[in-house]
Order: sequence, then C-alpha cells, then structure tokens
Amino acid sequence: MRVLVVEDELRLAENVARSLRESAGYAVDIAADGQEGLFLAESNPYDVVLLDLMLPKLDGMELLGRIRQSGQHTPVLVLTARDDKESVVALLNAGADDYLTKPFDLGELLARTKALIRRGKGQPSPVVVIGDLELNTVNRTVQRGGKAITLTAMEYRVLEYLVHRPRAVVSKTELLEHLYDYNWEKFSNVIEVYISGLRRKLNQGSSRQLIRTLRGQGYMLQD
Amino acid sequence: MRRDSIQRRLIASVLLSQIILTAGLVVIGVLVTYWRLISTLDTSMQAHAISVAVLVRYTEDASGHVYFDNSLLPESIDPNHPDQFTVWADRTGFLTRSEDWPEGLQFQPGPTEHWNFTWAGVPYHALRITHVPVLDREEGAAFRPQTLTIVYASPTVRIRHQVKVAGASIALASLLLLGATTWLASWKIRRGLLPLQILARQAALVSTQSWKLQPPKEAEEIEELRPLTESMTQMLARLEYSFKQQREFVGNAAHELKTPVAVLKSTLQSLLQRPRSSEEYRAGVQASLQDLDRLEQLLQWMLRLARAEQWAQNAQGRNLEVIDINCTCEEAVERIRSLAQSRNTTIHLATNGPVPIRADPEDLQLVWTNLLENAVRYSPEGASVEVAVAHDGDRARISFQDHGFGIAASDLPKIFERFYRGDRSRSRATGGFGLGLPIVKALVEAYGGSIAAESTPGKGTRMTVELPVSR
Repeated sequence: MRVLVVEDELRLAENVARSLRESAGYAVDIAADGQEGLFLAESNPYDVVLLDLMLPKLDGMELLGRIRQSGQHTPVLVLTARDDKESVVALLNAGADDYLTKPFDLGELLARTKALIRRGKGQPSPVVVIGDLELNTVNRTVQRGGKAITLTAMEYRVLEYLVHRPRAVVSKTELLEHLYDYNWEKFSNVIEVYISGLRRKLNQGSSRQLIRTLRGQGYMLQD
Repeated sequence: MRRDSIQRRLIASVLLSQIILTAGLVVIGVLVTYWRLISTLDTSMQAHAISVAVLVRYTEDASGHVYFDNSLLPESIDPNHPDQFTVWADRTGFLTRSEDWPEGLQFQPGPTEHWNFTWAGVPYHALRITHVPVLDREEGAAFRPQTLTIVYASPTVRIRHQVKVAGASIALASLLLLGATTWLASWKIRRGLLPLQILARQAALVSTQSWKLQPPKEAEEIEELRPLTESMTQMLARLEYSFKQQREFVGNAAHELKTPVAVLKSTLQSLLQRPRSSEEYRAGVQASLQDLDRLEQLLQWMLRLARAEQWAQNAQGRNLEVIDINCTCEEAVERIRSLAQSRNTTIHLATNGPVPIRADPEDLQLVWTNLLENAVRYSPEGASVEVAVAHDGDRARISFQDHGFGIAASDLPKIFERFYRGDRSRSRATGGFGLGLPIVKALVEAYGGSIAAESTPGKGTRMTVELPVSR
C-alpha cells in the first residue's frame, strides 16, 4: 500500500511516515506544500492521502477539491487543528473521508488509515479471507488452512495488495506503484522474486495454486 | 442592609405632601370659618350694643343724668346662651348691666374694642362701643351730654361648635381624598416604573451568545430611560467587541499551539512504537527538545503581546520620563547587530537632533528591534536597512526601509493581525509566529502613535512609525 502525506510541518510528516512504514509496512511519500501534494497525488496512484489543511502555496481544502474534481477515488484523511463543527462539516462536504484533529495519536492515525484503505478497496473487515487463505491486516499475520505462514515484510506487502484486489488482474507496474514510494528505483523483476517466494510459502501443504500468472498481463489472486 | 425603593420613596413623598396639604386645608378652613362667623357675630353684637345704648335716656331735669329703660331689651343672639352687657356713663359712672350678669365679672373699659374671654367655662366674645344718647328736648341743650361706654359680650359656644364641625368635615373629606389620591398615585407610580422592569428583563437576556439588547418600546418612549438604554447598548457593544477579540485570540492561540504539540507528541509516540537503539532515542529526545523550544518561544511571544496590550490600556497611568528617541534607536541597532552581521546586513541610522518623548525606553526598543529584525530577516544576505528619525512639528516620524522580498499587496492589510503570516513556509524558516507586528502596533498605539506599511514586492518594505513628541 502507498500513502501520500501532505504536511508542511516537516517533523510531523516524518514521524507519521516513519510510523506508517514501520507499523503498517506502507510506502510513504511526503509533500511539504499544497502544490507538491497536488502534483504527487495526480501522478501516482495512492491508496490513501493524509492531508493537512494549513498548507503553503495551495490550501488543503483547495487541494482536496482538485483531487475530487479530477475524479480520483483515493480516500483522504484530513489532519486539522480545527475541531469546530463548521469546519469539520465543511471538509467532509468537500470530499474528505475522515478527519483527525491535531494533536493526534499515532496509533489512531494508523488505525484510521488502515480502515480507509480497506473501505477504499471494498473490504470492510480487517481480516480478509479468500478461500482457505486468511490475512489479518491488524497484526499482519497470514494463515492458510489454519496454518500460520511467515512472510518477509515485502512478501507480506505484495500479498496484502493482492488480497485487496481479489480475482482482478494486477500488473507488475501496479504492484510497483503501490509498494514503493517516490524515491525508489523501480525494477519489475523484483516483483517476480517476491511472487515466487510467496507462491513457495503459500503452497506448503496445499496443492492448489493461489496466485495465477497471466502472461504479459500480470497476476491474479483466486480462491 | 435595608434596600431603598424608588417606588416606596415616591409614594412616601406623595403621601407626605398630601398630609401637609390636608393639614393646611383643615387649618385654613377652620380659621376662615371662625373668622367669618366671628365677623358675623361682631356685626350682630354691634347692632345689639346700639339697641342697648338707645335704651339709655336723659332725665327730665337739666341735670344731664341718665337712666336705663330696660323695657325694650333686645333678645340674645344665641337663644340658648344669654348675652351680657354693661353700660357706663362718663360722668356718672356705672349705669346698668344685664340681669344675669355673672357674679364677680368685672370689666374695666380698656383700649381694645374686641376681645375674647372665658367666664365660668363659657367662652365669650366681647366688644366695646361708645355712644352719645340723642337729646329729645330742644331746651336741654344747656347741659353737657354724657358719653356712654357699652361692653357687649356674647357666648361663642355655638360658633366654636360650628368651627369644630367645619374643621372635622374638611378633615374627613380630605382624608378620604388623601386615601384615594395616594392609591391612585401609587398605582400610577407602579405603572410608571414598569418599563424599568421590562428593561431589566431584556437586559437579563443578554449573554455571551447574544449581545443584542433590544430596548423595549415602553422604555424607549421614556425620556429618563433613554440615557440608560443608550449607555447600556454602547457598553454592550464595547464588551462584545473585546470579548470577541479575546475569544478569537484564544482560538488562534490554541490553534497555533496545536501544531507544535502534535509534532512533539508524534515524535515521542513514534519513538515508543518499537524498541530502538540508543542513538535513535537520543535523536528523538533532541528533536523533542527542539520542538519544546519552539513551543516555549511561541508562549513567550504570546505573553509579550498580552503585556503590550495591557500596557496599552494603562499607558496614561504610568509615571514616565522624557527620553530621546534617537538613544532608543541606537540601542535597538546595537541589539540587532549580531543578527545583522550573521546575514551580512548593514544598518544605517540617520538622526537629526534629539527627539524627546515621554515613554518607557524598553517599550520603544522592543518596537524598533522587532521592526529591525523583520527588515533584516526578510532581506537577502548583504542587503542594507535604513532607519531615519525625523522631527516634524509635534510628531516624530521613524522609518525603516529595507530592500528585501517585500510584502504582496493582498497581504499588506493583514500583517498587523495576530498570527498572520504571509507565507507560512518562509515564516517557518525565519522562525516567525505572526505576533511581532501586532506587538509593535499595540505598543505604538499605547503612546498615541500610528504605524503604516508600504511595500513593493521584490524591492523592499518601508515601515513608518509616527509618535507624538513631548514638549
């Protein structure tokens, strides 16, 4: 999963990014002003955007409006210092999906971010079950047929993304875009490495192939 | 504490004046009645006395003696209380007196003609007349006629009774009227004071949510209440303004404090999210300390603004000495020197003779250092800042010209608002909180001065402070 944090208070942005990377294994991009935020949001497919309202160059509300005008469905979580009813109503009406008032709790931010991603992908439950595969997004564990499977961080992130798009063809580019942040060199062959590792671990004790390869198109998770 | 009441006071004064009026009416009524009855009595007594006098005759001889013929005595004025009379002749002395003349009553013909006396419990009114009986014989002209003195007294029992009745009836009527008018007056007073109660009820509706005082129509129509409603409305407007300003400041301050607190909180929470190396902890603690420093600075600026505004409110009450503006400017330039050197900025101070002002030197230095700091911070390295102190009549004009980035025309009217920052990213780099210029403005206005800003983006900004000069 890939998250965009638009926040001009650099230290706060870095703390949030670190927390998302460490506790959820998300790829995180940081934008320090509204213009950069808009550029990143328009040029990359994020799974959620964390947006501060008071931003230099381009105001948070305006940025939100532009994102929604361009037809993006990316969930937006607004970080605001104002908690009066009027401004909360205004930002929800402007297209925000949720809000948190500063100073917020990092744990709550994490939980809300995860919830927004789940809902954005039409998957309200934190435990995703596909066939005999069970993926718990809260404590990041995977089971197949009741047996726990230990995955590396990167393997988990690939599987988590695939699990949220079941029975859909997911291209390598899509995987790269959602698993790496902006500063990362993207090489499609690393995806192949993770997929083969995943297949090996998931197929232990089971004959049925979960991840199908569609040549020239990508991968599909099936039950 | 006993509470006073306008209503009670008004009713009491109405009552008191009515009582005085009643008493006056009774006294005047009694006096007038008495006087009129007595003068009527006087007239009849005069007639009766003459009737008595004409009964005195001269004897047939030429001796000039007189005698009293009591065959035609007049009836008493009051049939129940007999009149009394006595007659003297000037030469022969006592002549006669009424039949039932009270034992022991003596009159010496005195100088007065009317008087009152009481004899044996009976009040009398008496009068004295003199009379010369007419000679009915022509030849009798040879002797000297006698002059008679007649004292006639009539009991005033009936008059006294009549006066008492008159007094009592006036008093009774007045008391009845007094009761009625007092009741009417108190009813009118209560009704008259009703607008005051309505006004009080309206005033009770004023709260921090609704500052509008709707003066009731009843109160607006009353002249005496108009100054009260007007001053209440004005007072509420002033209160509302300062309350809103205060609330806005508290709101803004809370908002400004939330961001550094959020940063600090997130730093500490992310430190605790998983076990870290001691280097990571160290870096986290150092970052937290930096965040705390920023918080502390923000608090200091807020306190400085609060103090400046407090001073502004009682600048007149402070005992201030006359100082030279130039000295405070030199001091401020000195204070800013290290910052200026670090940015390679030169500050030129142009003065032209001493400019006296009655002010606290610390206040003025705070104003100049704030303006200088802005000028230096918002200028590229190596630029210059010109400060000029001019004396123009009774105003001193101190201008700060920089050659920095300037202020956008849209931002210019807002730079004196609290927490306003033209460009947040730049102000973060320069460490501003948007409180420096509000502090400057509050202080300058406290001394009866004004501040104005002109700016050309890309060319520079000129801040001009005008202060009244001390003579």
